[in-house]
Amino acid sequence: MTRARPADYPQAAAATLRDTPEVRDAVTAATRTFDTHRRESWAQIDAERWRDWCRDVKDHVLTHLDDLLEQAEVRLVANGATVHWAEGAYDALATLGRIVDAEGVRRVVKAKSMLTEELGVNTFLEGRGVHVRETDLGEYIIQLLGEPPSHIVGPAIHRSVDDCRRLFHRHFGTPLDATPEALAATARQALREEFLAADLGISGCNFLVAETGTLALIENEGNIRLSTSAPRVHVAFVGIEKILPRMVDLSGFLQITARGATGQPIGTYVSLIRGPRGEGESDGPEQVHVVLVDNGRTTLLADDVAWETLRCVRCGACLNICPVYRQTGGHPYGFTYSGPIGAILAPALLGLEEAMPLPFASSLCGACADVCPVRIPIPDLLLHWRARAVEAGLTPLGERVAMRAYAAAAERPGGFSGAGSLLRYVPWKRGGRALPVLGGWSAERDPPEISARPFHKLWREGIE
Amino acid sequence: MRVALFATCLGDRLFADACADAVRLLRRLGCDVAFPEAQTCCGQPAFNAGYVAEARRMARHTMRVFADADHVVLPSGSCAGMLHRYYPDFFEGAERVRAGQLAGRTWELSQFLVRVLGVVDLGGGLRGRRVAYHHGCHALRELGVHDEPVSLLRAGGAEVVPWEADQECCGFGGLFSTKFPPVSAGMADRKLESLPAVDVVTSADGGCLMQMAGRAGRRGFATPFRHLASLLLEATA
Amino acid sequence: MSAARDRIFGRVRAAVHGRKRTDHPGDFLGWRPASSVTDAVAGFTEMFTAAGGEVVRLASMGLASTWLRDFAAGFTGVALGASLPDDFVPDFSLAQPESAELGVSTAVGAVAETGSLVLDARDGRRVQLLPPTHVVLLRKEVVYPTLAEALEVVSRDPPSAVGLHSGPSKSADIGQILVKGVHGPGRVIALLVG
Repeated sequence: MTRARPADYPQAAAATLRDTPEVRDAVTAATRTFDTHRRESWAQIDAERWRDWCRDVKDHVLTHLDDLLEQAEVRLVANGATVHWAEGAYDALATLGRIVDAEGVRRVVKAKSMLTEELGVNTFLEGRGVHVRETDLGEYIIQLLGEPPSHIVGPAIHRSVDDCRRLFHRHFGTPLDATPEALAATARQALREEFLAADLGISGCNFLVAETGTLALIENEGNIRLSTSAPRVHVAFVGIEKILPRMVDLSGFLQITARGATGQPIGTYVSLIRGPRGEGESDGPEQVHVVLVDNGRTTLLADDVAWETLRCVRCGACLNICPVYRQTGGHPYGFTYSGPIGAILAPALLGLEEAMPLPFASSLCGACADVCPVRIPIPDLLLHWRARAVEAGLTPLGERVAMRAYAAAAERPGGFSGAGSLLRYVPWKRGGRALPVLGGWSAERDPPEISARPFHKLWREGIE
Repeated sequence: MRVALFATCLGDRLFADACADAVRLLRRLGCDVAFPEAQTCCGQPAFNAGYVAEARRMARHTMRVFADADHVVLPSGSCAGMLHRYYPDFFEGAERVRAGQLAGRTWELSQFLVRVLGVVDLGGGLRGRRVAYHHGCHALRELGVHDEPVSLLRAGGAEVVPWEADQECCGFGGLFSTKFPPVSAGMADRKLESLPAVDVVTSADGGCLMQMAGRAGRRGFATPFRHLASLLLEATA
Repeated sequence: MSAARDRIFGRVRAAVHGRKRTDHPGDFLGWRPASSVTDAVAGFTEMFTAAGGEVVRLASMGLASTWLRDFAAGFTGVALGASLPDDFVPDFSLAQPESAELGVSTAVGAVAETGSLVLDARDGRRVQLLPPTHVVLLRKEVVYPTLAEALEVVSRDPPSAVGLHSGPSKSADIGQILVKGVHGPGRVIALLVG
């Protein structure tokens, strides 16, 4: 599978809508359900105060990140965990490779983690002949399909029950009319064997508590608990922004994240992991490795405007309410993180040029800002990256020329009668493609009806 | 009450009749309406596309044009939102103060009618009409305009029919609609697919109406789309 | 320490330097369900049940032990957590967690506002996760109104891992249809004593 790139977004989004219209239906239905549950869940709490508090804690963390990272490291080491630092994907994977070699790892179970998607952990391990198995049911489905996740929280939301029936029929010979319960039971059995046979469990991390060195992980299935409990070795990949100062801070964050993601009061399972199996404990990993990963996060932290993006808790609420995301799901974005948060993470994590045109793939409707539990001003940050793209000369030449001329004309009253005046000269019948700015309208829509007389003429003639 | 109408560039060319209706409506409600002819574009198309320097030039021009206006009224929520929410950020010092003052005197039409003129009753000219109201995103979020247009339509006798997607984006988004046409069209389709049986669809935003009407036309929907200003004028008839 | 670490810290310090450092806003004093403030046990019962869990409340350890004996009779193979009191454990046909149909463990706490059981790794993790049915002994004295309080208590003498279990294992990954018992137990019963 060739890896998709953000540059392909316009074509990939068009192809998704044209060739697989059922994806739009599945994604729209799933995200509307998520969002409805979030809304109902927030109505039960003082969500606005809660969001303020979470924003303020995260701002404190990000402005004290050096001290807090140091504290977390000290605590983790004291707990018996091994701490590694990785500047980028290459580092992170090399660290994993060393652990795999040292421990003679042949089989890996993986708990759902967007950071490991970002790093390309599966491809890396498979390339070394290590058997790696995703254990979240949604991740398992897309691993069997050979697809990347389509959503931060629900990786397989673009797939219907029938898609899953056909997939399981092919792999396990289950009947084509199997119930979701039967399919889940089949997966449970197959994955149970994987958990018990694995040498190494890999997870991400939702929060890392600095004062205690505690990793907090949220889930609903139990696969994260099993991946971090059953194998001999546990490796957790943790973005450096995942810090929370205090154990009690988890209280607010565990709840707002679950309420933002699915509307649950809390994830069905929360794992709070300090280190390897302790004295008098009958099970649990003998080794816990924590890999603290930068991979572009310090670039974001250094940006005086966009650093607020690092408050993100990956709940997916902004995807769920996004009308743009709902059209296609996450695949056309060509980046691990899709939707509104993906569009403002990509420029920092990939570089702005590589991220084009994702900051533009938004109508700026602002719905995402209404729901972000940590109040990331996503529309303003989209505008920020757009302005940066213009400064860097990354927008089309024709557009730049047109904008400059337009602005100049707008300063000369009389010579200008508005963007609307341009519309008269668009050859709509030929698809309106002659003007770069307006090309593409008529492919999907009837041309607008142009007023017989512009308003300023009506005004001069007198309005009675 | 003296008001200056900012017709907006889209209004001037595509919704000239609606702008004229806005003038008639304001006059009928006792306003002395001016139309500063040097007005051009608020700069929003440039700003949303990342052209901040260009947008600032247009903002500066617009601030000069409307410097003396007691109230600036726009038949467009998103352009009003541009003046209200973003102009002050373009400037420093005294210019920023002026931009802030202009922001405080800038109103979307229905917002002006309700909050400044205190209109509660328009006349029953819309009696018997089933209307769906589309909340333009910027009117909703940048101006906080939610109840005003709906209450005015009701005051005019219309039945405002519940619409599941009434607060979802229509997919216009300025240049967004031309950069990603199929995605933009899919968003309009969501609006159309969820549209209840009504006599007319209306909104305070011309751009949204143009988008939805354009897609409705392409897909063969017969429901007419009309600007809020025209419907509110009819209410007074 | 590694060169990567030094470079990351260098970049973090450079980024943070000069930016206004903001204070921690203090304890979160947000919403608590009304029931949890006045009656933590009722709050826990309501939230845990809403999440698909079951609550059986009995007045004494003796009654709970009897209930468990009768309940366990329907299962072949029971796995036990390490912290169950010896005199509490009836005469079961014991099994390893990998093959047991029923797991029985002890909660070190519970949370009213989230409907969560607090499970300690010293009790054994596999018994908490592998058997399809899970019974958790819970004393009413350790039911806390808020998650913050439970986290504070559990931090005093922490094991290597704590699990918060709030109802049965579930997933909606297949076509958004809710399925129980995906990896963890599909049935979880809080055996609430007192």
